[in-house]
Amino acid sequence: MSSSAAGALARTVRLLHRCEDGVLAVLLGSMVLLAPAQIVLRNFFGTSLSWGDPLLRMLVLWVGLLGALAATRGDRQIRVDALSRALPPRARLAARVTTQLFASFVAGLVAWVALRLMLSEFAYGSSAFAGVPAWLCQAVIPFAFGGIALRQLVQLAEELRGASAPGADGP
Amino acid sequence: MIAPLLLVLLALLGAPLFAVIAASALLGFQREAIDLQVVAIEIYRLSEMPVLLAIPLFTFAGYLLGESGAPARLVRLTHACLGWLRGGLAIVSLATCALFTAFTGASGVTIVALGALLYPALRSADYSERFSLGLVTTSGSLGLLFAPALPLILYGVVAQQASPEVAVRIDDLFLAGLLPGVLMVLMLSLWSVFQAPAKTGPAEPFSGREALAALRESAWELPLPFVVLGGIYGGVLALSEAAAVTAVYVLVVLVGIRREIPLAKLPAIMRESMVLVGAILIILGVSLASTNYVIDTEVPTRIFEALQQHIDGKLTFLILLNLFLLALGMMLDIFSALVIVVPIILPIALGYGVDPVHLGIVFLANMQIGYITPPVGMNLFIASYRFEKPVMEVYRATVPFFFILLATVLLITYWPDLSLALVAARH
Repeated sequence: MSSSAAGALARTVRLLHRCEDGVLAVLLGSMVLLAPAQIVLRNFFGTSLSWGDPLLRMLVLWVGLLGALAATRGDRQIRVDALSRALPPRARLAARVTTQLFASFVAGLVAWVALRLMLSEFAYGSSAFAGVPAWLCQAVIPFAFGGIALRQLVQLAEELRGASAPGADGP
Repeated sequence: MIAPLLLVLLALLGAPLFAVIAASALLGFQREAIDLQVVAIEIYRLSEMPVLLAIPLFTFAGYLLGESGAPARLVRLTHACLGWLRGGLAIVSLATCALFTAFTGASGVTIVALGALLYPALRSADYSERFSLGLVTTSGSLGLLFAPALPLILYGVVAQQASPEVAVRIDDLFLAGLLPGVLMVLMLSLWSVFQAPAKTGPAEPFSGREALAALRESAWELPLPFVVLGGIYGGVLALSEAAAVTAVYVLVVLVGIRREIPLAKLPAIMRESMVLVGAILIILGVSLASTNYVIDTEVPTRIFEALQQHIDGKLTFLILLNLFLLALGMMLDIFSALVIVVPIILPIALGYGVDPVHLGIVFLANMQIGYITPPVGMNLFIASYRFEKPVMEVYRATVPFFFILLATVLLITYWPDLSLALVAARH
Protein backbone atom coordinates (compact mmCIF):
# COMPACT_ATOMS: atom_id res chain seq x y z
CA MET A 1 0.00 0.00 0.00
CA SER A 2 1.35 3.45 -0.83
CA SER A 3 2.10 5.63 2.15
CA SER A 4 -0.44 8.30 1.18
CA ALA A 5 -3.21 5.72 0.90
CA ALA A 6 -2.17 4.28 4.26
CA GLY A 7 -2.21 7.76 5.71
CA ALA A 8 -5.70 8.42 4.38
CA LEU A 9 -6.86 5.13 5.82
CA ALA A 10 -5.33 5.92 9.19
CA ARG A 11 -7.03 9.33 9.17
CA THR A 12 -10.39 7.74 8.34
CA VAL A 13 -9.98 5.24 11.16
CA ARG A 14 -9.08 8.02 13.60
CA LEU A 15 -12.12 10.00 12.50
CA LEU A 16 -14.28 6.92 12.97
CA HIS A 17 -12.92 6.47 16.49
CA ARG A 18 -13.64 10.09 17.34
CA CYS A 19 -17.20 9.75 16.06
CA GLU A 20 -17.58 6.63 18.17
CA ASP A 21 -16.32 8.42 21.29
CA GLY A 22 -18.56 11.36 20.49
CA VAL A 23 -21.68 9.23 20.20
CA LEU A 24 -20.87 7.48 23.49
CA ALA A 25 -20.36 10.83 25.21
CA VAL A 26 -23.64 12.21 23.84
CA LEU A 27 -25.61 9.12 24.90
CA LEU A 28 -24.09 9.06 28.38
CA GLY A 29 -24.44 12.82 28.68
CA SER A 30 -28.16 12.56 27.88
CA MET A 31 -28.53 9.96 30.62
CA VAL A 32 -26.69 12.11 33.14
CA LEU A 33 -28.99 15.04 32.34
CA LEU A 34 -32.30 13.28 31.81
CA ALA A 35 -32.21 10.95 34.83
CA PRO A 36 -31.91 13.72 37.46
CA ALA A 37 -34.38 15.89 35.52
CA GLN A 38 -36.96 13.14 35.91
CA ILE A 39 -36.33 13.04 39.67
CA VAL A 40 -36.74 16.79 40.00
CA LEU A 41 -39.92 16.78 37.93
CA ARG A 42 -41.36 13.85 39.87
CA ASN A 43 -40.58 15.15 43.34
CA PHE A 44 -41.05 18.88 43.00
CA PHE A 45 -43.60 19.24 40.23
CA GLY A 46 -45.56 16.02 40.62
CA THR A 47 -45.10 15.17 36.98
CA SER A 48 -42.48 13.65 34.69
CA LEU A 49 -41.75 13.24 31.01
CA SER A 50 -43.78 10.24 29.90
CA TRP A 51 -41.11 9.26 27.37
CA GLY A 52 -38.27 9.93 29.82
CA ASP A 53 -38.07 6.60 31.63
CA PRO A 54 -38.39 4.37 28.55
CA LEU A 55 -35.83 6.53 26.76
CA LEU A 56 -33.42 6.16 29.69
CA ARG A 57 -33.83 2.38 29.62
CA MET A 58 -33.22 2.39 25.88
CA LEU A 59 -30.09 4.47 26.38
CA VAL A 60 -28.75 1.75 28.70
CA LEU A 61 -29.00 -0.76 25.85
CA TRP A 62 -27.34 1.63 23.41
CA VAL A 63 -24.55 2.76 25.71
CA GLY A 64 -23.94 -0.84 26.76
CA LEU A 65 -23.63 -2.27 23.27
CA LEU A 66 -21.73 0.67 21.79
CA GLY A 67 -19.46 0.54 24.86
CA ALA A 68 -18.88 -3.13 24.08
CA LEU A 69 -17.97 -2.13 20.52
CA ALA A 70 -15.52 0.41 21.93
CA ALA A 71 -14.13 -2.25 24.27
CA THR A 72 -13.34 -4.40 21.25
CA ARG A 73 -11.25 -1.57 19.82
CA GLY A 74 -8.59 -1.83 22.49
CA ASP A 75 -9.09 -5.60 22.75
CA ARG A 76 -10.61 -5.12 26.18
CA GLN A 77 -13.47 -7.57 26.18
CA ILE A 78 -13.61 -9.68 29.32
CA ARG A 79 -11.79 -12.99 28.84
CA VAL A 80 -10.67 -15.89 31.01
CA ASP A 81 -7.42 -16.40 29.17
CA ALA A 82 -5.90 -18.82 31.68
CA LEU A 83 -4.22 -21.12 29.20
CA SER A 84 -2.82 -19.04 26.38
CA ARG A 85 -0.26 -17.25 28.56
CA ALA A 86 1.40 -20.59 29.25
CA LEU A 87 1.62 -21.55 25.56
CA PRO A 88 4.74 -21.25 23.39
CA PRO A 89 4.59 -18.35 20.88
CA ARG A 90 3.49 -20.36 17.85
CA ALA A 91 0.73 -22.14 19.73
CA ARG A 92 -0.33 -18.86 21.27
CA LEU A 93 -0.67 -17.36 17.81
CA ALA A 94 -2.75 -20.34 16.72
CA ALA A 95 -4.96 -19.92 19.80
CA ARG A 96 -5.34 -16.24 19.04
CA VAL A 97 -6.36 -16.92 15.44
CA THR A 98 -8.84 -19.59 16.49
CA THR A 99 -10.47 -17.59 19.26
CA GLN A 100 -10.71 -14.39 17.23
CA LEU A 101 -12.26 -16.20 14.27
CA PHE A 102 -14.66 -17.97 16.62
CA ALA A 103 -15.66 -14.73 18.35
CA SER A 104 -16.14 -12.97 15.01
CA PHE A 105 -18.30 -15.79 13.73
CA VAL A 106 -20.50 -15.78 16.85
CA ALA A 107 -20.81 -11.99 16.88
CA GLY A 108 -21.67 -12.09 13.18
CA LEU A 109 -24.30 -14.73 13.80
CA VAL A 110 -25.89 -12.68 16.60
CA ALA A 111 -25.83 -9.64 14.30
CA TRP A 112 -27.57 -11.68 11.62
CA VAL A 113 -30.40 -12.96 13.86
CA ALA A 114 -30.78 -9.47 15.33
CA LEU A 115 -31.02 -8.03 11.83
CA ARG A 116 -33.78 -10.51 11.01
CA LEU A 117 -35.58 -9.51 14.20
CA MET A 118 -35.22 -5.86 13.30
CA LEU A 119 -36.53 -6.38 9.77
CA SER A 120 -39.59 -8.28 10.94
CA GLU A 121 -40.20 -5.54 13.51
CA PHE A 122 -39.88 -3.01 10.69
CA ALA A 123 -42.50 -4.86 8.65
CA TYR A 124 -44.75 -5.13 11.70
CA GLY A 125 -44.34 -1.43 12.44
CA SER A 126 -44.68 -1.56 16.23
CA SER A 127 -43.65 1.32 18.47
CA ALA A 128 -41.22 1.00 21.38
CA PHE A 129 -42.34 4.15 23.22
CA ALA A 130 -43.75 7.56 22.40
CA GLY A 131 -44.06 6.78 18.72
CA VAL A 132 -40.40 5.77 18.34
CA PRO A 133 -40.43 2.66 16.14
CA ALA A 134 -39.15 -0.50 17.84
CA TRP A 135 -36.95 -1.46 14.90
CA LEU A 136 -34.98 1.75 15.33
CA CYS A 137 -34.31 0.94 18.98
CA GLN A 138 -33.27 -2.58 18.06
CA ALA A 139 -30.97 -1.40 15.30
CA VAL A 140 -28.11 -1.02 17.79
CA ILE A 141 -27.94 -4.81 18.30
CA PRO A 142 -27.04 -5.82 14.71
CA PHE A 143 -24.91 -2.69 14.38
CA ALA A 144 -22.83 -3.31 17.50
CA PHE A 145 -22.43 -7.07 17.03
CA GLY A 146 -21.69 -6.63 13.33
CA GLY A 147 -19.13 -3.98 14.22
CA ILE A 148 -17.55 -6.23 16.82
CA ALA A 149 -17.31 -9.09 14.32
CA LEU A 150 -15.69 -6.85 11.73
CA ARG A 151 -13.36 -5.16 14.18
CA GLN A 152 -12.06 -8.47 15.50
CA LEU A 153 -11.30 -9.64 11.96
CA VAL A 154 -9.45 -6.44 11.15
CA GLN A 155 -7.48 -6.71 14.40
CA LEU A 156 -6.52 -10.27 13.61
CA ALA A 157 -5.42 -9.33 10.10
CA GLU A 158 -3.26 -6.53 11.49
CA GLU A 159 -1.72 -8.78 14.11
CA LEU A 160 -0.90 -11.43 11.53
CA ARG A 161 0.69 -8.88 9.23
CA GLY A 162 2.67 -7.55 12.19
CA ALA A 163 3.73 -11.07 13.19
CA SER A 164 4.89 -12.01 9.70
CA ALA A 165 6.81 -8.78 9.06
CA PRO A 166 10.46 -9.32 10.10
CA GLY A 167 11.54 -7.35 13.13
CA ALA A 168 8.08 -5.96 13.77
CA ASP A 169 6.78 -5.99 17.32
CA GLY A 170 3.14 -5.90 16.24
CA PRO A 171 0.59 -3.28 17.27
CA MET B 1 -21.40 -33.36 25.05
CA ILE B 2 -18.54 -32.24 22.83
CA ALA B 3 -19.86 -28.73 22.20
CA PRO B 4 -19.76 -27.55 25.86
CA LEU B 5 -16.21 -28.88 26.32
CA LEU B 6 -15.12 -27.15 23.13
CA LEU B 7 -16.62 -23.88 24.38
CA VAL B 8 -14.80 -24.18 27.72
CA LEU B 9 -11.55 -24.83 25.85
CA LEU B 10 -12.11 -21.76 23.66
CA ALA B 11 -12.74 -19.68 26.77
CA LEU B 12 -9.55 -20.93 28.40
CA LEU B 13 -7.61 -20.15 25.24
CA GLY B 14 -8.76 -16.55 25.48
CA ALA B 15 -11.96 -16.21 23.48
CA PRO B 16 -14.02 -13.23 24.68
CA LEU B 17 -16.56 -14.51 27.19
CA PHE B 18 -19.53 -12.83 25.55
CA ALA B 19 -18.88 -14.93 22.43
CA VAL B 20 -18.59 -18.14 24.45
CA ILE B 21 -21.86 -17.48 26.28
CA ALA B 22 -23.65 -16.36 23.12
CA ALA B 23 -22.47 -19.50 21.36
CA SER B 24 -23.80 -21.69 24.15
CA ALA B 25 -27.19 -19.95 23.99
CA LEU B 26 -27.31 -20.20 20.18
CA LEU B 27 -26.39 -23.89 20.28
CA GLY B 28 -28.94 -24.60 23.00
CA PHE B 29 -31.81 -22.93 21.19
CA GLN B 30 -30.73 -24.52 17.91
CA ARG B 31 -30.92 -27.97 19.52
CA GLU B 32 -34.42 -27.24 20.81
CA ALA B 33 -35.38 -26.03 17.31
CA ILE B 34 -36.27 -22.58 18.63
CA ASP B 35 -35.80 -19.63 16.26
CA LEU B 36 -32.44 -18.05 17.04
CA GLN B 37 -34.03 -14.60 16.95
CA VAL B 38 -34.86 -15.30 20.58
CA VAL B 39 -31.22 -14.51 21.42
CA ALA B 40 -31.64 -11.02 19.99
CA ILE B 41 -34.93 -10.63 21.86
CA GLU B 42 -33.17 -11.51 25.12
CA ILE B 43 -30.37 -9.01 24.46
CA TYR B 44 -33.03 -6.39 23.78
CA ARG B 45 -34.32 -7.02 27.31
CA LEU B 46 -31.36 -4.99 28.56
CA SER B 47 -33.64 -2.05 27.73
CA GLU B 48 -36.43 -3.34 29.94
CA MET B 49 -34.73 -3.40 33.33
CA PRO B 50 -34.92 -0.02 35.05
CA VAL B 51 -32.28 -0.94 37.66
CA LEU B 52 -29.57 -1.31 35.00
CA LEU B 53 -29.57 2.46 34.61
CA ALA B 54 -27.60 2.55 37.86
CA ILE B 55 -24.64 0.75 36.28
CA PRO B 56 -23.45 3.34 33.71
CA LEU B 57 -24.23 6.23 36.06
CA PHE B 58 -22.33 4.89 39.08
CA THR B 59 -19.45 3.76 36.88
CA PHE B 60 -19.15 7.17 35.28
CA ALA B 61 -19.19 8.86 38.69
CA GLY B 62 -16.51 6.44 39.89
CA TYR B 63 -14.24 7.15 36.93
CA LEU B 64 -14.67 10.90 37.43
CA LEU B 65 -13.72 10.55 41.10
CA GLY B 66 -10.72 8.44 40.12
CA GLU B 67 -9.45 11.14 37.76
CA SER B 68 -9.86 13.91 40.30
CA GLY B 69 -8.10 14.94 43.48
CA ALA B 70 -10.73 13.10 45.54
CA PRO B 71 -8.50 10.09 46.29
CA ALA B 72 -5.78 12.36 47.69
CA ARG B 73 -8.33 14.24 49.80
CA LEU B 74 -9.79 10.99 51.07
CA VAL B 75 -6.33 9.80 52.09
CA ARG B 76 -5.63 13.06 53.90
CA LEU B 77 -8.93 12.91 55.75
CA THR B 78 -8.62 9.32 56.92
CA HIS B 79 -4.99 9.96 57.80
CA ALA B 80 -6.01 12.88 59.97
CA CYS B 81 -8.56 10.67 61.71
CA LEU B 82 -6.61 7.40 62.03
CA GLY B 83 -2.97 8.34 61.53
CA TRP B 84 -2.21 8.39 65.27
CA LEU B 85 -2.89 4.63 65.59
CA ARG B 86 -0.14 2.04 65.45
CA GLY B 87 -0.32 0.76 61.88
CA GLY B 88 -2.38 3.85 61.20
CA LEU B 89 -1.21 4.40 57.66
CA ALA B 90 -2.00 0.81 56.70
CA ILE B 91 -5.44 1.14 58.23
CA VAL B 92 -5.88 4.41 56.34
CA SER B 93 -5.08 2.53 53.13
CA LEU B 94 -7.62 -0.16 53.88
CA ALA B 95 -10.38 2.26 54.84
CA THR B 96 -9.92 4.62 51.90
CA CYS B 97 -9.65 1.79 49.38
CA ALA B 98 -12.79 0.14 50.71
CA LEU B 99 -14.78 3.36 50.52
CA PHE B 100 -13.41 4.18 47.10
CA THR B 101 -14.05 0.71 45.67
CA ALA B 102 -17.66 0.86 46.82
CA PHE B 103 -18.11 3.75 44.41
CA THR B 104 -15.92 2.52 41.57
CA GLY B 105 -17.14 -1.06 41.58
CA ALA B 106 -13.93 -3.05 41.94
CA SER B 107 -12.86 -2.36 38.40
CA GLY B 108 -9.19 -1.90 39.06
CA VAL B 109 -9.57 1.87 39.32
CA THR B 110 -8.79 1.72 43.02
CA ILE B 111 -5.25 0.41 42.59
CA VAL B 112 -4.52 2.88 39.85
CA ALA B 113 -6.00 5.91 41.62
CA LEU B 114 -5.18 5.19 45.27
CA GLY B 115 -2.36 2.68 45.09
CA ALA B 116 -0.17 5.27 43.43
CA LEU B 117 -0.65 7.51 46.47
CA LEU B 118 -0.56 4.89 49.19
CA TYR B 119 2.30 2.66 48.08
CA PRO B 120 4.98 5.37 48.21
CA ALA B 121 3.50 6.66 51.46
CA LEU B 122 3.68 3.21 53.06
CA ARG B 123 7.24 2.69 51.85
CA SER B 124 8.43 6.02 53.16
CA ALA B 125 6.86 5.21 56.54
CA ASP B 126 9.16 2.16 56.68
CA TYR B 127 6.59 -0.52 55.99
CA SER B 128 8.31 -3.43 54.27
CA GLU B 129 8.13 -3.56 50.51
CA ARG B 130 6.42 -6.93 50.56
CA PHE B 131 3.77 -5.81 53.05
CA SER B 132 3.10 -2.55 51.22
CA LEU B 133 2.75 -4.26 47.87
CA GLY B 134 0.48 -6.96 49.29
CA LEU B 135 -1.65 -4.43 51.13
CA VAL B 136 -2.20 -2.17 48.13
CA THR B 137 -2.91 -5.11 45.82
CA THR B 138 -5.40 -6.65 48.24
CA SER B 139 -7.09 -3.34 48.96
CA GLY B 140 -7.90 -2.91 45.29
CA SER B 141 -10.96 -5.11 45.63
CA LEU B 142 -11.74 -4.49 49.28
CA GLY B 143 -15.09 -2.81 49.67
CA LEU B 144 -17.08 -4.54 46.99
CA LEU B 145 -19.49 -5.64 49.70
CA PHE B 146 -20.31 -2.00 50.45
CA ALA B 147 -23.13 -0.18 48.69
CA PRO B 148 -23.34 0.89 45.92
CA ALA B 149 -20.69 -1.44 44.51
CA LEU B 150 -21.46 -2.76 41.04
CA PRO B 151 -21.15 -6.49 41.87
CA LEU B 152 -23.87 -6.19 44.54
CA ILE B 153 -26.21 -4.58 42.03
CA LEU B 154 -25.38 -7.14 39.37
CA TYR B 155 -26.03 -10.02 41.76
CA GLY B 156 -29.46 -8.57 42.51
CA VAL B 157 -30.26 -8.25 38.81
CA VAL B 158 -29.08 -11.73 37.90
CA ALA B 159 -30.76 -13.38 40.90
CA GLN B 160 -34.04 -11.76 39.96
CA GLN B 161 -33.73 -13.15 36.43
CA ALA B 162 -32.74 -16.60 37.58
CA SER B 163 -35.39 -17.07 40.27
CA PRO B 164 -38.23 -14.60 39.78
CA GLU B 165 -40.26 -16.35 42.48
CA VAL B 166 -37.94 -15.30 45.32
CA ALA B 167 -37.54 -11.58 45.72
CA VAL B 168 -33.90 -10.57 46.08
CA ARG B 169 -33.97 -6.87 46.79
CA ILE B 170 -30.88 -4.88 46.01
CA ASP B 171 -31.34 -2.63 49.03
CA ASP B 172 -31.37 -5.77 51.21
CA LEU B 173 -28.08 -6.79 49.61
CA PHE B 174 -26.68 -3.36 50.42
CA LEU B 175 -27.52 -3.87 54.09
CA ALA B 176 -26.33 -7.47 54.13
CA GLY B 177 -22.88 -6.57 52.83
CA LEU B 178 -22.22 -4.02 55.52
CA LEU B 179 -21.10 -6.14 58.50
CA PRO B 180 -19.18 -8.73 56.45
CA GLY B 181 -17.40 -5.88 54.68
CA VAL B 182 -16.53 -4.23 57.98
CA LEU B 183 -15.27 -7.57 59.28
CA MET B 184 -12.89 -7.84 56.33
CA VAL B 185 -11.51 -4.37 56.92
CA LEU B 186 -11.13 -5.09 60.66
CA MET B 187 -9.29 -8.38 60.18
CA LEU B 188 -6.90 -6.85 57.66
CA SER B 189 -6.40 -3.86 59.98
CA LEU B 190 -5.45 -6.18 62.84
CA TRP B 191 -2.84 -7.83 60.66
CA SER B 192 -1.56 -4.41 59.68
CA VAL B 193 -1.11 -3.41 63.30
CA PHE B 194 1.11 -6.46 63.80
CA GLN B 195 3.06 -5.75 60.64
CA ALA B 196 3.59 -2.06 61.31
CA PRO B 197 7.27 -1.17 61.52
CA ALA B 198 8.41 -0.93 65.14
CA LYS B 199 10.79 1.94 64.68
CA THR B 200 8.56 4.58 63.20
CA GLY B 201 9.32 6.67 66.26
CA PRO B 202 6.53 8.26 68.22
CA ALA B 203 3.18 7.95 66.52
CA GLU B 204 1.89 11.19 65.12
CA PRO B 205 -0.37 12.76 67.68
CA PHE B 206 -3.92 13.46 66.65
CA SER B 207 -4.24 17.03 65.44
CA GLY B 208 -7.62 18.66 65.64
CA ARG B 209 -6.50 21.42 63.34
CA GLU B 210 -5.34 19.01 60.62
CA ALA B 211 -8.53 16.98 60.97
CA LEU B 212 -10.61 20.11 60.57
CA ALA B 213 -8.59 21.26 57.56
CA ALA B 214 -8.90 17.86 55.91
CA LEU B 215 -12.59 17.84 56.67
CA ARG B 216 -13.03 21.25 55.10
CA GLU B 217 -11.01 20.21 52.06
CA SER B 218 -13.26 17.19 51.49
CA ALA B 219 -16.44 19.12 52.18
CA TRP B 220 -17.80 18.61 48.66
CA GLU B 221 -17.25 14.85 48.58
CA LEU B 222 -18.35 14.11 52.13
CA PRO B 223 -22.11 14.24 51.49
CA LEU B 224 -21.86 11.58 48.76
CA PRO B 225 -22.02 8.39 50.85
CA PHE B 226 -24.82 9.93 52.90
CA VAL B 227 -26.82 10.94 49.84
CA VAL B 228 -26.48 7.49 48.30
CA LEU B 229 -26.95 5.35 51.39
CA GLY B 230 -29.38 7.67 53.15
CA GLY B 231 -31.41 8.07 49.99
CA ILE B 232 -31.66 4.35 49.34
CA TYR B 233 -32.13 3.10 52.91
CA GLY B 234 -34.41 5.98 53.75
CA GLY B 235 -36.63 4.99 50.89
CA VAL B 236 -36.34 8.44 49.32
CA LEU B 237 -34.45 7.36 46.22
CA ALA B 238 -34.63 4.28 44.04
CA LEU B 239 -31.26 2.78 43.18
CA SER B 240 -31.15 4.25 39.69
CA GLU B 241 -32.20 7.63 41.11
CA ALA B 242 -29.38 7.52 43.65
CA ALA B 243 -27.03 6.78 40.77
CA ALA B 244 -28.39 9.70 38.78
CA VAL B 245 -27.96 12.09 41.72
CA THR B 246 -24.43 10.80 42.31
CA ALA B 247 -23.40 11.18 38.68
CA VAL B 248 -24.71 14.69 38.24
CA TYR B 249 -23.41 15.80 41.66
CA VAL B 250 -19.92 14.47 41.02
CA LEU B 251 -19.92 16.00 37.54
CA VAL B 252 -20.97 19.42 38.79
CA VAL B 253 -18.52 19.41 41.73
CA LEU B 254 -15.46 18.14 39.89
CA VAL B 255 -15.92 19.88 36.55
CA GLY B 256 -17.96 22.93 37.50
CA ILE B 257 -16.95 23.89 41.04
CA ARG B 258 -13.52 22.41 41.74
CA ARG B 259 -12.51 22.53 38.08
CA GLU B 260 -10.20 19.56 38.57
CA ILE B 261 -11.31 17.90 35.36
CA PRO B 262 -11.20 20.08 32.26
CA LEU B 263 -14.19 19.84 29.95
CA ALA B 264 -11.94 18.70 27.13
CA LYS B 265 -11.00 15.60 29.09
CA LEU B 266 -14.60 14.62 29.70
CA PRO B 267 -15.29 12.66 26.47
CA ALA B 268 -12.25 10.45 27.07
CA ILE B 269 -13.35 9.71 30.65
CA MET B 270 -16.88 9.01 29.45
CA ARG B 271 -15.56 6.60 26.87
CA GLU B 272 -13.25 4.84 29.32
CA SER B 273 -16.08 4.30 31.78
CA MET B 274 -18.44 3.08 29.08
CA VAL B 275 -15.86 0.56 27.86
CA LEU B 276 -16.13 -1.13 31.26
CA VAL B 277 -19.93 -0.83 31.25
CA GLY B 278 -20.09 -2.22 27.71
CA ALA B 279 -17.82 -5.15 28.52
CA ILE B 280 -20.13 -6.05 31.43
CA LEU B 281 -23.49 -5.36 29.78
CA ILE B 282 -22.74 -7.35 26.64
CA ILE B 283 -22.00 -10.36 28.83
CA LEU B 284 -25.17 -9.71 30.82
CA GLY B 285 -27.15 -9.41 27.57
CA VAL B 286 -26.06 -12.68 26.03
CA SER B 287 -26.31 -14.42 29.40
CA LEU B 288 -29.97 -13.39 29.64
CA ALA B 289 -30.41 -15.68 26.64
CA SER B 290 -28.31 -18.51 28.05
CA THR B 291 -29.99 -18.18 31.48
CA ASN B 292 -33.34 -18.50 29.81
CA TYR B 293 -32.11 -21.68 28.20
CA VAL B 294 -30.70 -22.98 31.47
CA ILE B 295 -34.05 -22.40 33.19
CA ASP B 296 -35.99 -24.00 30.33
CA THR B 297 -33.90 -27.14 30.45
CA GLU B 298 -34.11 -27.34 34.25
CA VAL B 299 -30.38 -27.90 34.52
CA PRO B 300 -30.21 -26.60 38.13
CA THR B 301 -33.04 -28.91 39.21
CA ARG B 302 -31.22 -31.86 37.75
CA ILE B 303 -27.93 -30.89 39.38
CA PHE B 304 -29.76 -30.44 42.68
CA GLU B 305 -31.32 -33.89 42.44
CA ALA B 306 -27.96 -35.44 41.61
CA LEU B 307 -26.26 -33.57 44.46
CA GLN B 308 -28.89 -34.57 46.98
CA GLN B 309 -27.88 -38.20 46.62
CA HIS B 310 -24.46 -37.37 48.03
CA ILE B 311 -24.79 -34.17 49.97
CA ASP B 312 -27.29 -33.96 52.73
CA GLY B 313 -27.55 -30.79 54.69
CA LYS B 314 -26.79 -27.18 54.29
CA LEU B 315 -23.37 -27.29 55.95
CA THR B 316 -21.84 -29.80 53.57
CA PHE B 317 -23.32 -27.88 50.69
CA LEU B 318 -21.79 -24.62 51.93
CA ILE B 319 -18.35 -26.22 52.31
CA LEU B 320 -18.54 -27.49 48.74
CA LEU B 321 -19.83 -24.12 47.61
CA ASN B 322 -16.80 -22.39 49.11
CA LEU B 323 -14.38 -24.75 47.40
CA PHE B 324 -16.22 -24.37 44.12
CA LEU B 325 -16.31 -20.58 44.30
CA LEU B 326 -12.63 -20.36 45.21
CA ALA B 327 -11.76 -22.41 42.14
CA LEU B 328 -14.17 -20.34 40.10
CA GLY B 329 -12.62 -17.11 41.33
CA MET B 330 -9.26 -18.31 40.07
CA MET B 331 -10.65 -18.63 36.57
CA LEU B 332 -13.35 -16.00 36.13
CA ASP B 333 -13.56 -12.34 37.00
CA ILE B 334 -16.39 -11.33 39.30
CA PHE B 335 -18.74 -9.97 36.65
CA SER B 336 -18.63 -12.99 34.34
CA ALA B 337 -18.84 -15.34 37.29
CA LEU B 338 -21.97 -13.56 38.48
CA VAL B 339 -23.87 -13.77 35.22
CA ILE B 340 -22.77 -17.29 34.32
CA VAL B 341 -22.83 -19.13 37.63
CA VAL B 342 -25.49 -17.47 39.79
CA PRO B 343 -28.40 -18.69 37.60
CA ILE B 344 -27.20 -22.25 38.14
CA ILE B 345 -26.25 -22.26 41.82
CA LEU B 346 -29.03 -20.01 43.14
CA PRO B 347 -31.83 -22.58 42.64
CA ILE B 348 -29.57 -25.28 44.11
CA ALA B 349 -28.72 -23.14 47.12
CA LEU B 350 -32.41 -22.40 47.65
CA GLY B 351 -33.02 -26.15 47.61
CA TYR B 352 -30.59 -26.49 50.52
CA GLY B 353 -32.33 -23.69 52.39
CA VAL B 354 -29.64 -21.05 51.89
CA ASP B 355 -30.99 -17.50 51.99
CA PRO B 356 -30.54 -15.88 48.55
CA VAL B 357 -29.24 -12.66 50.11
CA HIS B 358 -26.70 -14.58 52.19
CA LEU B 359 -25.69 -16.53 49.09
CA GLY B 360 -24.98 -13.25 47.32
CA ILE B 361 -22.66 -12.06 50.07
CA VAL B 362 -20.88 -15.44 50.22
CA PHE B 363 -20.52 -15.43 46.46
CA LEU B 364 -19.04 -11.94 46.27
CA ALA B 365 -16.76 -12.44 49.28
CA ASN B 366 -15.36 -15.57 47.65
CA MET B 367 -14.93 -13.84 44.33
CA GLN B 368 -13.08 -11.02 46.02
CA ILE B 369 -10.33 -13.50 46.86
CA GLY B 370 -10.25 -14.39 43.18
CA TYR B 371 -8.89 -10.91 42.44
CA ILE B 372 -5.60 -11.84 44.10
CA THR B 373 -5.26 -15.48 43.07
CA PRO B 374 -3.41 -16.53 39.93
CA PRO B 375 -3.69 -17.24 37.07
CA VAL B 376 -6.20 -14.52 36.24
CA GLY B 377 -6.42 -12.42 39.43
CA MET B 378 -6.92 -8.96 38.00
CA ASN B 379 -5.37 -7.04 40.90
CA LEU B 380 -2.12 -8.98 40.54
CA PHE B 381 -1.72 -7.77 36.99
CA ILE B 382 -2.78 -4.20 37.61
CA ALA B 383 -0.43 -3.93 40.59
CA SER B 384 2.37 -5.60 38.68
CA TYR B 385 1.90 -3.13 35.84
CA ARG B 386 1.41 -0.10 38.07
CA PHE B 387 4.33 -0.72 40.44
CA GLU B 388 6.57 -2.40 37.86
CA LYS B 389 7.05 -5.61 39.79
CA PRO B 390 6.90 -9.17 38.43
CA VAL B 391 3.48 -10.79 38.85
CA MET B 392 4.95 -13.61 40.96
CA GLU B 393 6.46 -11.12 43.39
CA VAL B 394 3.12 -9.36 43.73
CA TYR B 395 1.48 -12.72 44.26
CA ARG B 396 3.91 -13.75 47.02
CA ALA B 397 3.29 -10.43 48.72
CA THR B 398 -0.46 -11.07 48.85
CA VAL B 399 -0.24 -14.57 50.38
CA PRO B 400 -0.80 -13.56 54.03
CA PHE B 401 -3.67 -11.32 52.96
CA PHE B 402 -5.14 -14.25 51.04
CA PHE B 403 -5.32 -16.34 54.21
CA ILE B 404 -6.86 -13.53 56.23
CA LEU B 405 -9.52 -13.00 53.59
CA LEU B 406 -10.09 -16.74 53.41
CA ALA B 407 -10.70 -16.89 57.16
CA THR B 408 -13.16 -14.01 56.82
CA VAL B 409 -14.97 -15.71 53.97
CA LEU B 410 -15.38 -18.86 56.06
CA LEU B 411 -16.81 -16.79 58.90
CA ILE B 412 -19.19 -15.06 56.50
CA THR B 413 -20.28 -18.39 55.04
CA TYR B 414 -20.98 -20.26 58.27
CA TRP B 415 -22.39 -17.34 60.21
CA PRO B 416 -25.40 -16.25 58.12
CA ASP B 417 -26.62 -13.82 60.76
CA LEU B 418 -23.59 -11.64 60.16
CA SER B 419 -25.10 -10.91 56.76
CA LEU B 420 -28.77 -11.23 57.58
CA ALA B 421 -29.15 -9.58 60.99
CA LEU B 422 -29.37 -6.04 59.62
CA VAL B 423 -31.78 -7.11 56.90
CA ALA B 424 -34.00 -8.83 59.45
CA ALA B 425 -33.86 -5.79 61.72
CA ARG B 426 -35.09 -3.62 58.89
CA HIS B 427 -38.08 -5.73 57.92
